This record gives sequence, C-alpha cells and structure tokens, in this order.
Amino acid sequence: MRRGRHWRSAATLRIDRTLLPIDAIPRKEVLRYLGYRGQALSAELDARVDGMMARVLEVARPLAALRSYPVAREACCDAPPAVALEGTTLRLTGDDAARHLTGAREVVLFAVTLGAGVDLELRRLALVDAVGQVVFDAAASAAVERVADAAEALVRSYAADKGAFCGWRFSPGYGDLPLEVQPAFLQSLDATRRLGITLTPGNLMVPTKSVTAFVGIHDTVQEGLASSCELCSLADFCALRARGVTCRV
Amino acid sequence: MATSVTIHAPNDRLRPRRLRVADEHLQAVLDGKEYLLFDGGMGTMLQDAGLKAGACPELLCLTDPHTVTGIHAAYVAAGSEVVTTNTFGANARKLAEGARAEGLVRVPSVAQVFAAAVACAKDAGARYVAADIGPTGALLRPLGTMSFDEAYDLFAEQVRAADAAGADLFVIETMADLLEAKAAVLAAKENSDLPVFCTMTFGEDGRTFLGTTPEVAAVTLSALGVDVLGVNCSLGPADVAPLARRMCAWSTKPVLVQANAGLPRMEDGRTVYDIGPTQYCDAVGDMLDAGVTVLGGCCGTTPAYIAGEKALIEARAGSGAEATERVADGSRPFTVTSAQQLLSLAPGEVGVIGERINPTGKKRLKEALRIGNYDYVMGEAINQEQAGAQVLDVNAGLPEIDEPATLVRLVEGLQGITSLPLQIDSADPVAIEAAVRAYPGKPIINSTNGKQEALDAVLPLARHYGCAIVGLALDEDGIPGTAQGRLEVARRIVDACDQQGIPREDVLIDCLTMAVSTNQQAARAILDAVRLVKRELPGVRTVLGVSNISFGLPYRELLNATFLTAAFEAGLDLAIMNPLSQRFMDAVAAWRVFNGEDLRAQAYIAANAGRTDASAKAEKPSASSEQQEATAVASTPHERVRAAVLQGRGEPVATGVAELLSAGLEPLALVNDVLIPALDEVGALFEKGTFFLPQLMASAEAAKAGFDAVRDATAASDAQPKGAVAICTVKGDIHDIGKNIVKMLLENYGYEVHDVGRDVEPQAFVDEVVRHHIRLAGLSALMTTTVPAMADTIALLREQAPWCKVMVGGAVLNPEYAAMVGADYYARDASEAARIAAEVLG
Repeated sequence: MRRGRHWRSAATLRIDRTLLPIDAIPRKEVLRYLGYRGQALSAELDARVDGMMARVLEVARPLAALRSYPVAREACCDAPPAVALEGTTLRLTGDDAARHLTGAREVVLFAVTLGAGVDLELRRLALVDAVGQVVFDAAASAAVERVADAAEALVRSYAADKGAFCGWRFSPGYGDLPLEVQPAFLQSLDATRRLGITLTPGNLMVPTKSVTAFVGIHDTVQEGLASSCELCSLADFCALRARGVTCRV
Repeated sequence: MATSVTIHAPNDRLRPRRLRVADEHLQAVLDGKEYLLFDGGMGTMLQDAGLKAGACPELLCLTDPHTVTGIHAAYVAAGSEVVTTNTFGANARKLAEGARAEGLVRVPSVAQVFAAAVACAKDAGARYVAADIGPTGALLRPLGTMSFDEAYDLFAEQVRAADAAGADLFVIETMADLLEAKAAVLAAKENSDLPVFCTMTFGEDGRTFLGTTPEVAAVTLSALGVDVLGVNCSLGPADVAPLARRMCAWSTKPVLVQANAGLPRMEDGRTVYDIGPTQYCDAVGDMLDAGVTVLGGCCGTTPAYIAGEKALIEARAGSGAEATERVADGSRPFTVTSAQQLLSLAPGEVGVIGERINPTGKKRLKEALRIGNYDYVMGEAINQEQAGAQVLDVNAGLPEIDEPATLVRLVEGLQGITSLPLQIDSADPVAIEAAVRAYPGKPIINSTNGKQEALDAVLPLARHYGCAIVGLALDEDGIPGTAQGRLEVARRIVDACDQQGIPREDVLIDCLTMAVSTNQQAARAILDAVRLVKRELPGVRTVLGVSNISFGLPYRELLNATFLTAAFEAGLDLAIMNPLSQRFMDAVAAWRVFNGEDLRAQAYIAANAGRTDASAKAEKPSASSEQQEATAVASTPHERVRAAVLQGRGEPVATGVAELLSAGLEPLALVNDVLIPALDEVGALFEKGTFFLPQLMASAEAAKAGFDAVRDATAASDAQPKGAVAICTVKGDIHDIGKNIVKMLLENYGYEVHDVGRDVEPQAFVDEVVRHHIRLAGLSALMTTTVPAMADTIALLREQAPWCKVMVGGAVLNPEYAAMVGADYYARDASEAARIAAEVLG
C-alpha cells in the first residue's frame, strides 16, 4: 500500500452530481450556531433542537459536484496575485489563494448543496414557526458543512490514489478571495445544471445552504491539517482509513 | 353571488395561436403520428474542441462559426432532422456576464447571437432549426431574487430574436423550475407563432431541483399549450425511461426525451461518460415502446449515439409512430397541479375544495389582508390541509384593498406553506390574470358565468394560462329557478369553452346552491340540475358551494352534510366547503366508501375504527409533568403566566390569560402589567447571557399565545395597536432570519408590523412607509455588499418620509456603520429593537 513519489494516472474523480448522504448532524455545532454558551436547556427546547435536526436530514438532498484542474504555470509576478487553472477561465485571485496553493500542481474544485427543499422549508417555517426557523437554519448550516466534509474526503482519497497530498479546503468569500469568482467557479463545475445552484446579482448562492471550496493537490504533506484521525472532521467519510492508510504519509 | 365583470381593452397576449409549422412532416410530429430526431450534446462537443469551462459558449457563434457549424453538420450527417442552435445561455443576463468574463468591450446583442447561431444551423444543412432556450441562470422569487417579469422579458427577447433569425421551433430545455418554464413558454406563445417544445430535468429521486414530478410537469405543460414536452439531461437513458413513461401517461402532447450518456467522470483530465451508443439505444428503444416519439441526446451524446437512434426510428418506419393514446372525453381524469403536487380525480371520484380563505364576513381575515399580515391566512391554509382539503380557494375581494396585488401576494405566500393546488376566486379578470400568470401549476379559476361579457373576459384566460374553470349557472337574467334553466346556461358556457378549445374535463359547472329556508324547492332543483349537467354535457365536472343550503336554519351542519351526500349521488365532483367541519368530512369519507373510491374502505376504517359518537377527538399531548409542577407551584394566575412566558410555553399562558380576563382584569392592564413585564424580564435574561436566542424566541412565542387570547376576547373597537413598524431585508440580501426574529418580537410587544420582505427595492419599502404613515422603520443586512443598499433606502426615506425614524441591524452592522449609513438607531439584537420601538412609538 506504499505510495510512490510519482503521480499515478489511474486516479479517477466522479464529477457528476453525486449523492452524499449524511446520517447525523453534530448537535454541538447546531447549538454553537445558535449562540449557545452552556445555558440550561428546557426539555422542550432540547426536543425542538432534535426535531429540527431530524427535519433537516429529512428534507435535505445533499449533492456534490467535483472537478480537478491543473494549475497553469504562467508568469504572474508583477500582476496582482492569482492562481490560474488550465481548461477554465476561473482565476483564484488574492494573496490567500496564492499562499494556499503554493507548490500545488492541481486544484480540485467542489460545490455541495442541501438543495432547494431546505430553502422551501425555511420559508415555510418563517410563516408558521419563527423559533423553528432559527433552529432549523442552524441545523442546516451544520449539515451543509458535514456534506462539504464528505466531499473533501473524496478529494483526499483521490489525491491518495495519485500518491499526492491535500491542503485544507478554502472557500470564496474567505480571506481575500472575493465572491466575484463565484460565477466562473460554479461554471467550472457545471453546478447550476448538475446541482441546481444559482447566484443572486450579489453572487450569493441559492439554495442558500450550499458551499463552494477548492483543495490544492500537492507533492508534499501540507501543514494545517488535523494531526491525527481522531481530530479530523472528515474521519466519518474517510475511504482511506478503511484501507488502513492515512492521508498524511 | 352576482358577479360583475369589467371589460378591459382587448388583450393581445391572449389572442389564439395560429401555429406556423414548417412542413407536413413536422405537423405530423406535432400530431403524434411521426417520429422526429434531434441532435446530441453541444457542450460536450465544444469542450472536446477546446472550449474552456467558464467561457461563454454562445459567443462562439460569432467568433468561431466554423467550429459550431462543423458540430451541427456532424449531427446532420448522423441523421439529425432538427439542429439545436448553440444558444442555451444566450440571454441578455448571461451574455453580459460572459462578455465581461472574456474581457469584451462590447456585449453582443441577443439578436446578433441568435442570427449567427441560426445561420450556423442552416449552413450545416439542418432540416429544422430549433432555437435553444435554457434557464436564465438565476432562481426566481420567492427562493431567488429574479421576478417572473424579469425572467419573462429575458425569454421574450430570445424568442423575438430567434423568430426573426428564421428558426422553425423553440426548444425550452433543462428547466428545473416549473415557474421559470412557464415564463419561457408564455414568452414563446405571446411573441411568436412557432411550435414550442419544452423539457425539464429530473434527479435520481424523480423530481426536479424544485420538487416537480414528471406527472406535474406533463399536466401543467400540456395545459399551458406547449406542443411537445419531455425530459432532457438529468440521468442516463435507463434511469430516464421510467420518468418518460410517467410523462407519457399524463401528457396530452407528444413526448420528447434527450438523456445523458450516463454519468461523467474525470480520467486524466478528460471527461468520460459511462454509457456507449449501443447500450444507450437499447434503453431508448424501450422508451419508444412506451410512447416517446421525439428523440435526441444530451450531455455526452455524440453523433454516434444519434446515428444509433436514427436506426431505431428507421426500423419502426413501416409501423409509424403510434399516436399518443387519446382517451375519450368522458373518461379523462380531472387534473389540477401546484409546482409539487398533482390532484387527479377519475370520473366518479370526489374532491374537497377548502373555502375558508375568503374575507367575506370574516373580520380578522379582512384586517390581516388590509395591513398585509398573512400569518393568519397561512394558519387557515394549514388547518384546512390537515383536515383533508385537496384544493384551497383563495379570495381577496374586499372593496378597500388592491385585489390584484393582494391576490398575487396571497398566492405566492400560500405556496410557501402548502403544496395543495389553488383555486383563484375573483370576479375581476385583471386580478385573475395577475394571479394565474405567475402561478407555477395548473390552478382552477373561480369563476365565469353565462353572461357573454364574463365568458369573453375569463375564458381566454383559462385557455391561455392552462387553467380549469368554474362556470356559474347564471346569466344576464339571474339564476334560473329550474334545473332545466340552469342546464341551458351551463350548455352555453360549455359551448363557449368548446369553442375556445378548453377540454371538457377542465370545465366545472356550479349549479349554485340556494337556501332551502327561503325556497324549499331549491334543494331538488339544484340536485336535478347537477344530474342533468352530468348527463347532457358529457365530460364536464360539477362543483357546488354546499353550505348555502342551510342558511337561516339551526344546526346547519346536519343539513349541509346530508345535502352534500345527496349531491354526490346526483353527480357532484367537487365540493367547496369548510373542511374543518367534522360532519362534512365524515360525509365525504362515507361517500368514498359507497362510490368505491376508498378501496376496501381502508381509509375509512383507519380513521374510524374504535370511534363512537361519544368519543372526542384525540387530545393534545400534555406537557411534561416536571413543568406542570413548576407551573403549579406558581400560585396566582398572574404568576403562572409569567412563569410560562419565561419557560416558553404557550398553552399555560393562554389559559392563564383567559382566567385573568374572566376574573375581570382589563385587557390593557393584562398586556401592560403581566405580559410585557414578563417579556422584559426575558429580554434582560437574554442580555445577561442567561438565555440564548431560541429561548428568547420561545418566550416571545409563548407571550404571543397570551396576546392572541387577549385579542380574541377584545371587541373590535378596543383593539388598539401600539403603533406600526415597517421592516425589511434590503435590496440584494436574501438573509431574512434576523428580520423575522425582530418581527416576531415586535409583534409580541403589540406593534403592528409591516413586513415588506427580503431583497426589497428601496422605493417599494418607502412606498409602504408613506402609504401607512409609519413612524419607525427597521432595515436588516447580513452582507457587507448590501450595506450600500441600506444607505440608499435611508436616503430615500429621508427624502419622502422625513417623519420616519430608522433603526438598522444585521451581522455586518455596528454602531459606526449604522451612523455611516445615516440610521437613527443601531439595534444589536431583537431585544434592543423592541426597546427602540418603545422609545419611538411608546
């Protein structure tokens, strides 16, 4: 099972709309989104949080689309920093993306969404149950991060098949990577057709519980990842562990 | 019940279509008698030719027409009769985006792109050119920010450009949103006479991204008057086949299928599809057997796939396409749809239309509609759905309100909480058109009648927008007294529908229920009329508003239910009634046993096993014993109400308030001395961090139960709201949860809240403030990018409503930002917003 230094070509990445079912939402995260700081919870509120987490799992239709692009080697020193990719017009602009992708050969882009059913339910709750809407929203936010974890685990596995290593995921809107990259980002994944993700004029995604992110594929182990599988948020979705390997060696 | 219809200028949109069909073969295809072969995936071919992802493929029609023509020509050589233009995203919005991404100085016009694209298709030798129209790329309201009219305008521009460029038909494709598909179909029908093909795309669960099923799509698009409908993209052909079969079962038009070549994956930087031409065509053969007559391919299908399909069709050429099976008028089901749900009633089955969303004689509903607070209406809708209503009647006919605008908002709001199809109830053709035009489904229009002007005004709406229609059996001379007289009026209505081409099963005749207390012959006349209409006008359905029968008599429910049963026996198909009446619903359930609709009486047995006349309905689950104790310890009702508000439990609040009221406490004192102090206490606990957000909200919700109890007990004259606040999430922002929390809290403090919504145009907000002379406005924004819209709204308020104070809030706001945008107050949270309201409004 030892992986060589040379990249293998056999690695494949399923790029279509992929179902990524999740069977649980971390309760701690839901409460964190709600601003919980250890207050005493009544049995009713407890039950409401559980009920809304279950409702999210019921109406969510978690889908992902992934695609990898080689990093374009272009002279770009005096221009504002940006990472260009081969085969797409997308440029990941800003210092953060450039730093994040230093030494990366390839970038995997992905988008995940819980689907419009969650937005429809949020809208329904806004009309009939304001408390429920707030709790449901928090549960859905926690859930879509779980789906992003599942997608990132697919990327780790893809990289491992190549004998390569991943950085951690980074999303438009973080640091100095502006939301203006979203149109080209989504087009590079054909995400509107495959996942139904659309943009508002301000480049916000609808369905609202959607995440776009990229992961660099590197020759060397990257800093900043969880130091052990116990601490890794992707562990539940990891295909490598089942095979007795990890993404760090 | 008398209806008056205003006559408006002839509506050009509603003119009957005179279809322009290229030749006899295409006409035979539209009649379902011959096969037609489209082409395969354009995107896949362009990417193989080196097109970058993210680039605007439509621009190639102008910059590299040879490549585009070459791809078309390869499909023509493989046997495609129809070439689809490279214009999937050629709408003004996407072209501007694409041109910007590619750094073009001038954005090519939609007309230029279509002219070039149609020329490419013709140069390739296409027999027919299909102008391709894909989704706008933006999601429509209410989930997205694009309005129906904006989408319509984008599509209409494409339609006019394609028609002018010489296309032979439109293919509206890859639609996930039934409303967007409707906007495109209407744009095509209203701006051109060319045939319209329309396909939608479905996922593994057999629904579009927005929840539409193949059945709903087939029924709605058929009614809307598309010429061919179907499914494209989505999945591989084996998975599309069952969807196509479901469409064929409900479509009255030929069905088109363009599946993907299975699932794509990346191999060495190349996109590969997992189903080859042979396997693909095997699955397509099954679909031909199922009744599909128009074929093609989508993502990953190359000319090799099309050549295979060509062979399939040729092998069947002798037998010819089997015309889509048409069933005789009398045996077609009655169908209506919402975007998510189909209601279908086979002849002999009965349906329930809930009547309660109608302000006539309902004070609270009237008031709610007047100030635009729809919570109450939503409650009525949910209750009716739970009680077993299958369609909801929606009426907003009040002299003092803007009926078209209110009806549209009601219809939009109701779709958020119920998936039941709606019945648009109005006497005003303008209001009817406004409501049905932007309705994502096939609604019922209630109503037209035998007066010529009513027929002239309403039937074209039903035909054009694909609606079922209620026709009241009355005319210029009023309601005929005899059954025969009502039949004659009904016959005139049905003849007029026949002339318009409205299918018989979409016509519902209302023989009009009159009170037996004023004329005891009335019941017999109505029942005879129903029987006559069903016998003399085959295929037509009947509807009755039942409860009028008992007007003026005691114990009305007994008369209503008995009359309903008799009416069912006479041939009534749909009852407009109060589904919250248990006796009514019992009569419906019993009848469904007798007419065989409730197979082996399963539903009846499930609902009634073990039930006796004496037994009450299921009791609500009681609160946990621990908390009952906690509340019981609080001795006085005043204390109990306070404790329950703090615990966030509504029921004890309501009972405690009722106790206090019956003990003689003044409503105003109850609000000011009991409920508000409890809420203030909750606010303080939230402030200190003892409570977190959901607790604050649960308490507010519990207090609301108390306010509702007070309001129910107060006569209309005493109900004096403390003052009005207008709130919204500003233009460009779709995050409305913070705003909703503020709304809830303010309402529970007794303020009249005008919620203008999210993504709100500055002027629309200011209009609301000016219209009601509102003294406090609350604006919310979550994104830094939308803070400027906040400043714009405030500037406009200062100009047009200088009396109005402004508070702002939202994740990105802070006191400095608030000052910068020109607000009077910064509300850190909902609790602070309530304090500001107290300061400004008292």
